[in-house]
Amino acid sequence: MVATATPLIHMQGITKVFTTDEMETHALQAIDFDIAAGEYVAIAGPSGCGKTTLLSILGLLDAPSGGQYTLAGQPVAALSAVERARVRNRQIGFIFQAFNLIGDLTVAENVELPLTYRSDLTPADRKDRVARALGRVGMSHRARHYPPQLSGGQQQRVAVARAVAGDPAILLADEPTGNLDSKNGEAVMELLQELNAGGATICMVTHDERYARHAGRQVHLFDGRVADAAASVTAMA
Amino acid sequence: MLRNLRLAARMLSKTPFVTCIAVLSLALGIGANSAIFSLFDQMLLQPLPVPSPEELVNLGAPGPKMGSTQCSQAGSCEVVFSYPMYRDLERTQTVLTGLAAHRAFQPSLAIDGEPLTGQGVMVSGSYFPTLQLQSAAGRLFTVADDAPVGANFVAVLGYDFWRDRFGSSPSVIGKTIRINGKAFSVIGVAPKEFSGTTLGVRPTVYVPISMRAVIEPGFTNFENRRAYWVYVFGRRKPDVSLAQATAALNALYRPIINDVEVPLQSGISNQTLARFKARLVTVNDGRQGQSSTPENAKTPLLLLMGVTGVVLLIACANIANLLLARGAGRAAEMGVRLALGATRGQLLALLLTESVLLALIGGVASLGVAHLTLKFIGTLMPSNEVGALVFELQGSVVLFTAALAVVTGLVFGLFPALHSTRSDLISVIRAGAGQLTGGKAATRFRATLVTVQIALSMALLVSAGLFLKSLMNVSRVDLGLRVDDVVTFGLSPVRAGMDSTRAAVYFTRVQEVLAAMPGVTGVTSSRVPLLAGQSWGTAVHVQGFTSGPDIDADSRLNQVGPGYFQMMGVPLIAGRDIAESDLHGGARVAVVNETFARKFGLGRDAVGKFMSDGENDSLTVQIVGLTPDVKYNSVKDTIPPVFYFAARQDWSIGELNFYVRSSLPVAQVMASVRGAMKALDPTIPVEDLKSMPQQIRENVFLDHMISILSAAFAVLATVLAAIGLYGMLAFSVTQRTREIGVRMALGADAARVRAMVMKQVGLMTLVGGVIGVAGAFGIGQAARALLFGLEGHDALVFSASVLLLSAVALAAGFLPARRAALINPMQALRHD
Repeated sequence: MVATATPLIHMQGITKVFTTDEMETHALQAIDFDIAAGEYVAIAGPSGCGKTTLLSILGLLDAPSGGQYTLAGQPVAALSAVERARVRNRQIGFIFQAFNLIGDLTVAENVELPLTYRSDLTPADRKDRVARALGRVGMSHRARHYPPQLSGGQQQRVAVARAVAGDPAILLADEPTGNLDSKNGEAVMELLQELNAGGATICMVTHDERYARHAGRQVHLFDGRVADAAASVTAMA
Repeated sequence: MLRNLRLAARMLSKTPFVTCIAVLSLALGIGANSAIFSLFDQMLLQPLPVPSPEELVNLGAPGPKMGSTQCSQAGSCEVVFSYPMYRDLERTQTVLTGLAAHRAFQPSLAIDGEPLTGQGVMVSGSYFPTLQLQSAAGRLFTVADDAPVGANFVAVLGYDFWRDRFGSSPSVIGKTIRINGKAFSVIGVAPKEFSGTTLGVRPTVYVPISMRAVIEPGFTNFENRRAYWVYVFGRRKPDVSLAQATAALNALYRPIINDVEVPLQSGISNQTLARFKARLVTVNDGRQGQSSTPENAKTPLLLLMGVTGVVLLIACANIANLLLARGAGRAAEMGVRLALGATRGQLLALLLTESVLLALIGGVASLGVAHLTLKFIGTLMPSNEVGALVFELQGSVVLFTAALAVVTGLVFGLFPALHSTRSDLISVIRAGAGQLTGGKAATRFRATLVTVQIALSMALLVSAGLFLKSLMNVSRVDLGLRVDDVVTFGLSPVRAGMDSTRAAVYFTRVQEVLAAMPGVTGVTSSRVPLLAGQSWGTAVHVQGFTSGPDIDADSRLNQVGPGYFQMMGVPLIAGRDIAESDLHGGARVAVVNETFARKFGLGRDAVGKFMSDGENDSLTVQIVGLTPDVKYNSVKDTIPPVFYFAARQDWSIGELNFYVRSSLPVAQVMASVRGAMKALDPTIPVEDLKSMPQQIRENVFLDHMISILSAAFAVLATVLAAIGLYGMLAFSVTQRTREIGVRMALGADAARVRAMVMKQVGLMTLVGGVIGVAGAFGIGQAARALLFGLEGHDALVFSASVLLLSAVALAAGFLPARRAALINPMQALRHD
């Protein structure tokens, strides 16, 4: 997949400082970072290097202490809480390490969940999108089941379906294979590659080099800084 | 919204046990409130079911009233008018669309020869027009039905009576019924929802007030301006304010007082005359009709509303704690939802839907609790009071319940909802498990809730203890009587059409018949029923006592049958009892009590002295006996000065109350009395047949009711608080499992861990208890008027309450403490 030159995500000079009574911890320092539409980027690095903090900022779950962050051409720093929620809902799809499916909702309801927070979709639209998303991950036959009735790999597939159901601009995956065995982990990696091949922009955090190599580009973090960026398959334009 | 409801229902059904406990707590809390509100609403809030009730005004005539005053359930003696004054105001006033008069009476009814009892109201012709009521059948009175005096033998039936006795048949119009022995023609039926203008009186029949002399032979006070017996209300013209109406009516009233009534007053001091001249009409909001019940019931009802409110608060604190704990388990879910784009408002809506749904289910269940509570309260009230109230759930109560449930759900769901949707959720998403609940704010909030519960429970326990001790004091009051095996009832032959001379013969016959019944060991009678709340007073002249203006010469009196004191188990101090030989035409005799002898300077030498009653100063009645002070009309009230005349010496007595002592079971005696009286004269109904212990219980029913209800609610509150304390500690132990494991791994033994939890219990109990005791002290002071024989700060009650609550708190804390002490450190360290 060849990325376009216009960045979907543009980060410049991003810093994140956690302050306690006794000390300041610089989790991210002067991060400059772009992701183009259609790109598949892996953020890799050892534990504590700031990967998840960066992903949280990318996903608007957290705000940077400094720097500029533009998503699809829109600066996000000044967004209100409601506007941030709206951006998360419409433009970002999350895939978590622990799946984070809601046990009291069926598979279909879990996938539908982000769509229910939108007012522009009719119930028929939502059902249609849910069916398509579940179809994409091969979980249509489990739509009426509850998460505890599924294996870990199946749960993560449902989580992927939930992430893509709203046609977001980018998928953010936080250690998506962390809770899976290697076989299921590979299956999820293949699924992400298929999605990327279909046009999805993906940013994945992982500490596992094997999985990082599935991405088109790897960004290595170390002590809160970008150590280097390497193209796995195709070099950045 | 529907989706939220569906999810909320699913969440509640997922933990049925916890949901059931929550619903039960809410049902008990809301139900108790709804039941008391039902009484509160009926007694203090509901307007009369008439058009524009806000236009109605009650008139009062406070100030000195020389002459006779008759007042009843419709209001105090301060507000009654003389009949001529009412007519003067009615004729000349211009600020009201109508001015109406009324007075309740006890009718003896006979329909097709069958005697019935009921309640009657004498009303002016303007009564129904002023209320703007339309008849359910026939027509209602007009001004033409009310004049001239004694000329209109017409009656209007109460709707309930028409429905129950005549099957709502229109053919009742024109029918003749006998009221107090006189034939009246039914001209109409009052509307369905209307049951008079006095709470506590549900009229069977209405008659024109101008017919009082017909239904009460001997009444002569239509022209007497010194006889005060009429209750008056009116309807303001729409453009007239209360102040304008007051001013306009006083502009008419003052000249009548000064020009017409002042010259009629004699034998009063200048000071009293000045107060008489200064009298003014009072005009008050009359939308609820005229009744002394709201005034009497206000304090106890407010107290019970407060108590049930506190019970609900405690139940709600449990719900809030439950929701917080549930929110803890769902912290990760909330994080996911936020990450997926839900706004905080959407999550708040979801969580509040759950709490409101829970409260609504509790509200529905509470209707059953309210229904049962109302029925129970109905059993605590005397039979004559029960008829005045509806012990069923009415529309207003259902609305109140629904509103209370929604408010409860919103208020007590709000903090847990706000807490569970805090925006700092990244750690939750990272960890995939909820750590939020360990937050200091939630912990503090939960501990505060439990401490508040303990404080509220302590306050309720103390107040319940005070009322229970008060009730014990009431039940220990020495009545001075021995009436455990006595049955009492009333007979009113005059009301059934018998003249008073024949009535005197009839009463003698009744005494003979009762005395001849199997198992009967004593019979006597009195005009004023003993310990039934009624009293009769008059001024007296006593040998050696100097009367004069403004000198209190009032005494209570009764007229009693032969052997009255012996029958009631009262040993006389001196002299003799009323005897069989004390008959009409013979030398008049009296027995007086010690307080009477003391008040009028007779001391122990009362026997042999002379007295007279009323304005008669002839001193023609000889005191033949001195009795100890025995209770007169009230168990709790101080015994007033009382003199007793011989009932058989007065042939004007139309009604008497009889007392029958028997060794047989009460039910059997009652059945025998009914049979014997029916055989003697089937046209005279037996009224208020009951045992004397029941009559005494009814005399102090308010003490019984408040004590029993407040005790029940206090126990409920304490149980709820104990559940709350247990739940809070159990949750806390679960949250601290890892910490406790670490402590144990570091060397803490089981006793130390147990002590750690119990210390938490002790601290909350101490703080809550101190606050509760302080609150209870305030409640005790406020409720002093309702307490009998003790102060609001009774040390024994306070100590017992502290001990009880401490024991309950320690018991509630013991299980979680034990569980904490049994934690396996190895397992605990793997706990997440």
